[in-house]
Amino acid sequence: MVNKRSVLTPALIALVGFLTVCPVVMLIFGSFSTGLGAFGEFTLDKYIQGYTDPELGGIILNTIIFVLGSSFVATGLALLLAYLNTRTDIPFKFMFRIISIIPMMIPHILFSVSWVLLLNPSNGLINLFLRQIPGLENLAINIYSLPGMILVEGLLDLPIAYLILAPAMASFDISLEESSKVCGGSTLRTLFRVTLPVLRPAILAAFILSLVRSLASFAVPSVIGMPGRIYVLATHIYQSIATGFAADFGKAAAIGMSVLATSITLIYVYRYLTSESEKYVTISSRGYRPSVIELKGARYPMFGLVGILSMILIVLPVLVLLYTSMVPYSMIPSAKAFSMMSWKHWIEVINDPISLLSLKNSVFLGVFGATLGVTLSIFVAYVIVKVRSHASGLLESLSFLSFSFPGIVIGVGFMWFFVRTPLYATIWTLLIGYIATYLPYGVRPLTSAFVQVHSHLEESSQVCGAGPFTTMRRIVIPLLIPGIVSGWILMATMFVRELTLSVVLSRPGTEVLAVQIFRFAEDGLWGQLSALGIMMIIISTALVLLATLVGMKFKPVEE
Amino acid sequence: MKRLLIVFLALIIVPSAFAADSDLVQKAKAEGQVSFYANMTAIAPIMDVFNAQTGLAGKYTRISTSKFLATVLTEYQAGKLMADVLQAPLPVMQMLKAKGVLAPYTSASAADYPAWTRQDDQIQTFGIEYVGLIYNKELVKAADAPKRYEDLTDPRWKNKIVMANPASHATTISWLVGLKENVFKSEDKWMEFLKGLAANRPMLVKSFGPTPAPVESGEKHIAISMPKYIITKAPAPLDWARLEQPLMGTPRGIAISSSAKNPNAAKLFMDFWLTKKAMAKLSAEVGEYVLAPGVFPPIDGMDKAKVIPIRTLSEKEISSYGTMFKKIFKLH
Amino acid sequence: MEIKITNLSKYYYSGGKTIKALDNVSLSIPANRIFTLLGPSGCGKTTLLRCIVGLEAPDTGEIKIGEDTVLSTEENIFVPTENRGLGMVFQTYAIWPHMDVFNNVAYPLQTRKVPKDVIRSKVEKTLRFVQLEGFEDRPATKLSGGQQQRVALARALVAEPKVILFDEPLSNLDAKLREETRKDLRIFLTELQITAIYVTHDRIEALSLSDIVAVMNGGQIVEMGEPRDIYLNSNHRFVADFIGRTNLIEAKVTAQEESVTKVDCAIGSFACRKRADLNPGDNVTLCLRPEFIRLKRGGASEAQNVFNGQIESLVFIGEAFEGEIKIRESQIFIKTEPDSDIRVGDSANFAVDPDHCLLVIR
Ligand SMILES: Nc1ncnc2c1ncn2[C@@H]1O[C@H](COP(=O)(O)OP(=O)(O)O)[C@@H](O)[C@H]1O
Ligand SMILES: [Mg+2]
Repeated sequence: MVNKRSVLTPALIALVGFLTVCPVVMLIFGSFSTGLGAFGEFTLDKYIQGYTDPELGGIILNTIIFVLGSSFVATGLALLLAYLNTRTDIPFKFMFRIISIIPMMIPHILFSVSWVLLLNPSNGLINLFLRQIPGLENLAINIYSLPGMILVEGLLDLPIAYLILAPAMASFDISLEESSKVCGGSTLRTLFRVTLPVLRPAILAAFILSLVRSLASFAVPSVIGMPGRIYVLATHIYQSIATGFAADFGKAAAIGMSVLATSITLIYVYRYLTSESEKYVTISSRGYRPSVIELKGARYPMFGLVGILSMILIVLPVLVLLYTSMVPYSMIPSAKAFSMMSWKHWIEVINDPISLLSLKNSVFLGVFGATLGVTLSIFVAYVIVKVRSHASGLLESLSFLSFSFPGIVIGVGFMWFFVRTPLYATIWTLLIGYIATYLPYGVRPLTSAFVQVHSHLEESSQVCGAGPFTTMRRIVIPLLIPGIVSGWILMATMFVRELTLSVVLSRPGTEVLAVQIFRFAEDGLWGQLSALGIMMIIISTALVLLATLVGMKFKPVEE
Repeated sequence: MKRLLIVFLALIIVPSAFAADSDLVQKAKAEGQVSFYANMTAIAPIMDVFNAQTGLAGKYTRISTSKFLATVLTEYQAGKLMADVLQAPLPVMQMLKAKGVLAPYTSASAADYPAWTRQDDQIQTFGIEYVGLIYNKELVKAADAPKRYEDLTDPRWKNKIVMANPASHATTISWLVGLKENVFKSEDKWMEFLKGLAANRPMLVKSFGPTPAPVESGEKHIAISMPKYIITKAPAPLDWARLEQPLMGTPRGIAISSSAKNPNAAKLFMDFWLTKKAMAKLSAEVGEYVLAPGVFPPIDGMDKAKVIPIRTLSEKEISSYGTMFKKIFKLH
Repeated sequence: MEIKITNLSKYYYSGGKTIKALDNVSLSIPANRIFTLLGPSGCGKTTLLRCIVGLEAPDTGEIKIGEDTVLSTEENIFVPTENRGLGMVFQTYAIWPHMDVFNNVAYPLQTRKVPKDVIRSKVEKTLRFVQLEGFEDRPATKLSGGQQQRVALARALVAEPKVILFDEPLSNLDAKLREETRKDLRIFLTELQITAIYVTHDRIEALSLSDIVAVMNGGQIVEMGEPRDIYLNSNHRFVADFIGRTNLIEAKVTAQEESVTKVDCAIGSFACRKRADLNPGDNVTLCLRPEFIRLKRGGASEAQNVFNGQIESLVFIGEAFEGEIKIRESQIFIKTEPDSDIRVGDSANFAVDPDHCLLVIR
């Protein structure tokens, strides 16, 4: 076993490193080269220009507020939903699970645009509605503001946080809580003194992942931030390259390096903070069915509260999408609007051969890519959690590398890389690019899951004569099912709506959904955009259901 | 069904539609396909006609303007440029020409285009990405619509304008500079206009794409945007302000790649693209302003409008004007 | 099957410090006996066990199981755990929560590709042996601690391994169950005629269960022998202290006589069991087990190994009285029959047979 482990780690480092380092290396070359390509004469100009900008200070401040704020929103909401969902007897649990992952399935531009329709200060629907209340006639809640950006980005990052937290909560060793209660701790005290601290690795993981994601996010800063004239690093980078027709991605990469450095630092901080506590083992062999906390009288009020909250935060934007897909152009709901509703945009989308092809490609990439990605993630997470050497730290950082880079830049890095391979312009570039970039979506939930499998469970299989692969197949993987399902869902839904890489790498024959969506967005065709967006949500929902059902079937923990 | 019909119709009209010389057609047929990179949208119907008419497989890749140069140059330098024909804004085409990406070709189809559309033997200009003022006709009466660009500085438009970011959106920057060079009598008048516009606090978005939606929905009343949205977004209540001054836009160019794998098919495609028929389709379906004589987008009054090309600005100019507009509009 | 361990060392590096978990251990474990590793927590017992099964890679050394070398750092041999053909019961039992009892127990046979019907009959037989017949379909999560322990045992036994190893298997059970299981385990293991290696920090467990005990401390084997021998005749202060309640008194050798060695200590002069390797003037420790101290009420006496003192405390614990007697400035633990009439405050004589006055070195 020891020998095989020592082969596994370098092999994975080589593989993951190759996938994630290559595009980043290309970008590093690009950032030091004159001209627009990856290989030009050496220059420091791009860094000098990038970092001597006097506006950088204010932008960094905005970025910090935005990123921290949205991560708090995402993690906080995810904690609440995951706790209610896994640990209490709140009714209609299945709904919460769906609600908490819906934002995962919606293209981020669409979600942001929905919020603009709901909450813009001139005629946002929520504003219009609230103005009818006496005394609030002049109300104008402004989405084009930092709090607005934080809210929407927080909601968009909620699924990542939820899918990391929920499995951890579900497999929590109940005796830890019980002993707190025996010691006289109230439910609330137990929650804050025992449950949350024990879950700290998962909570931190969710928080850090949200941080990294919102740092690289472009949809919210561009759709909501720009009109409010609030710039963060991602939009600043865009601004600095998009001025002019010859976009200099090398310069963007130069500024992006600081984002990359920040993310990598965050990941190291995270590893440091959890280096001891990740040894917390919460699945013991004594059974890991957590008991349910009875909300008693609070059951329905609590449900009502959370129901309304998620209704406003998540269901409403989706309804706005549905509405937008049916009205002929962007209009405020009115009798006239409803009378003009039709399936026109839907029919146009369905009759468009490229849209259909992209549907097919996206489903393929979602299903096959996620399966491959999760398989790789299992090995990576295994090394990260169970080997825990310096090399495994390196592996974890590598897995975050392309993920941490601002999206608009990393796509070009991949193009610079793939154009030197025979894979260029095939669907495999998309597949490989997706897996390399979104590896943390698979690795994070799986590390959380691995942390909870006591090493004795695995070792006793070896003593029983099972090799590493049998042990993996018969013991480890079945115990990891919740993590695998989470990882698969995150990856599959991400791949179905992936935009930043696709828009650079897709070619005729390899069109994907998001690229179609992007074309509609560039042409301002919100109707078709929303129709395709909803189709995307339906496909993702189907994939989520599929994964959940398969997960339940293969999860042989007897009741 | 609709496609079948197009194919059928096309087959009937082939012989008369465009008479390319049969030698070229033969060679092109032997190549069998042609790859077209464009930054324009909605040209699938035109590709369908081309395919039906010639029996070739024309494949179209949409690459947005911001990534056009990076993509084409990356491929070209790696010897993997897949495009046979390239279409992009003129400034981009000129940069490609400077890098040797383009090959010379003069298409007979463009013989009757205005002379300025052919400044060299490589790039053929065929259209103008024209910018205008689009307003919501339910909220603004035609009589109240601006008559001159200066009217945008009227305080009645305060918080009612949407436009692409003048600090970063290249087309908007060029357009504002075009106003100075083609419309305003003096630099002072121009500055006055810019300051007045900025004082009305327009909502700034990333590019033209998101400009019409706020006007359609009534969130804003008027946009500095593209009149073609009146066609593509019908039946939205959009109309364009008929100004006394000319409309302006960045020219669109087309050319053949110097490393085309299908050079004959490329020529055939370019010949086809520049025919009056193809241009009329482009104009009719997506409201493009094309330079084939006598062809106008089906927008009321557009046949009488004066539409002029904007000079190509150097990257340096764009970036220094961008910085200037950033100050005037008090961004950051 | 015999196990031979030679010069085994295992180091951990943590926080810049090197921990010698195993410090050059050499050891021979006889075949078909119950062998116990006894020592305080953290002395390296688990590490030694894990090295034998192959879950740790030692830094140096050699391990032979029967004729097979499973580890040799010199010859670069490392047989992976799964190919060593052993059975093990973990401290946590490591019952797989996603399987039922049958599948847990059948697992080692399944990995060895045994035919299905053979598996069924063997599992049934083993479950009967550990008195869990009828539990086949029970989910592993629905078992009591004792049942889990027996499932773990059944799983370790089912493939008839050459050697079975236990890491503190009883530490999670309550006192009464622990005592019963200990007895059962001894019966099972003796019946099976199997080599068993048993790790514990509980001396009663070690003494009552094993054929041979090895006492460990600080990554080394201090002493090894049959339980009674170790208890009565240990040569090491650490062992004598760890293996049973005892009085340890610093002393100095005064003379070697024909059948006894004489020492002086704070209490007085003792005649002790003869240890020929000592010379007058040597510092030694005198070891007196309370159960060998005989007490009698009365005044001072001049007889050999008889001392007079005052009873300081006395507690009745059922099978005996336990307490302390004060002689000069020293306090000595004592133990006496439950029907004794000695009480606190009495003046008493205590006497020890020289054969029970053990001299140990530090
Ligand atoms: N993985 C590890 N890393 C660092 N030190 C360890 C590790 N495992 C055990 N040790 C140390 O090695 C020593 C022996 O441990 P162990 O064999 O578990 O003792 P025990 O006799 O209680 O079973 C202890 O000091 C322990 O802290
Ligand atoms: Mg131990």
